[in-house]
Amino acid sequence: MTPNETRGNFARTLLLLGRLALAGIFLFAAYAKLKPQAAMPWSGSSIKTSLSLFAMQVDSYQLLPPQLVSPAAHFLPPFELFLGLWLLSGVLLRYASLITTLLLGAFFAVMVRTYMAGLEINCGCFGPGERLGPLTLLRDGSLLALALAVTIGAFIHGRKSRTESAPVTHASTPQRTD
Amino acid sequence: MISRTSRDFIRRIAARICSTAAILIAFAIFAPASPAQTATPTSAKSSAPAHKRAAADAAPGAPVKTIGNRNAPITMEVFSDYQCPSCGSFYENTLRAMIQDYVASGKVYLIHHDFPLQMHTYSGQAARWANAAAMIGQFQDVDAVLFDNQAKWPVDGDIEKYVAGAVSPANLKRIEAILKGCTAPPPTSKADRSLPQPEVGCPVDTYIVQDIVLGYQIPVQATPTFIIHYKGQSYPASSGIITWPILKQFFDTLLSQ
Repeated sequence: MTPNETRGNFARTLLLLGRLALAGIFLFAAYAKLKPQAAMPWSGSSIKTSLSLFAMQVDSYQLLPPQLVSPAAHFLPPFELFLGLWLLSGVLLRYASLITTLLLGAFFAVMVRTYMAGLEINCGCFGPGERLGPLTLLRDGSLLALALAVTIGAFIHGRKSRTESAPVTHASTPQRTD
Repeated sequence: MISRTSRDFIRRIAARICSTAAILIAFAIFAPASPAQTATPTSAKSSAPAHKRAAADAAPGAPVKTIGNRNAPITMEVFSDYQCPSCGSFYENTLRAMIQDYVASGKVYLIHHDFPLQMHTYSGQAARWANAAAMIGQFQDVDAVLFDNQAKWPVDGDIEKYVAGAVSPANLKRIEAILKGCTAPPPTSKADRSLPQPEVGCPVDTYIVQDIVLGYQIPVQATPTFIIHYKGQSYPASSGIITWPILKQFFDTLLSQ
């Protein structure tokens, strides 16, 4: 195995691990927001209650008008679930990781703004009960950095794959003129 | 005809979908069927709200810092500081509407807990006035007047002037009589979670300290913090300002279960 191949395998392994880590985090985040609260069994009603509880956390950020809070709270957890599955599948990874990076960037910006404004609220990142503070900012900042690294890796890997699989043109082959 | 490249692509996608499905099925099988309870002591130790657990211990003449029907299906416990701006905003924009609507109609039972913060000069003293008023059944009026004038009484600490506007002269005298022995600084919550000491001659301090200790157990990390109980179950504590339409939506979701 040449050094180039070794480096390529290492990069692919890192990309795979980063992708799986992000997928796991997003699946867990969605699960934490959708799971039944207060010892309720899994049901449509319990999910509705959990989403209403999450809406209160979204509302506490004081970012959205009340009429948009509920739609946002009902959209985010299923979207996180979708993103987690998409990252897990590895299909069109460049786009999945790019959307993940944009989403995490938006989350991080909102969290920094809220923290700087002095609002003492729950983060709502992985379900209820976690206070927004320096540690949550550090964690989400790290996740954003990971997502960015996976996105860059996915684009580089995608470009290399395309280059390697492109048909070879034999310029030196004599062309028939007849 | 499907080209070989397309067939390979479809085969790869199918393989990935199958592996994803396998992981999800494994997750669904091995994930706990009923998630663990939250860390709040009201849910972890007992499903009964704190006020119901403490009811047996309540001494006669204890302050009644509640609003609404005790048998309402939903109970909401709020830990608040009379001088904290977020608490004032939460009261004016959310709790006031809730009291007029869902508390008045018997859907929600509201319990106030004092959690005066050390950094606020007069919040402990305001809590004393509210507790003294609660001992003679005047809590709701004094609670409202303290929040309504939150920007005024902290200027010089003259809380009596505003309480006098909310109760009758006779009741003001009764409140003053209760607070006669309260001369030392009032108890407040500490950043290091140490136990505040009630003043021996001040009958309301014991109840303020009880609330602070309960707040430590939750744990209350910021004010306002509230916990909602429904059908014997407690939902995780929330902090910050929640608008009434969103809180109402949560109540409606609970009531429709």
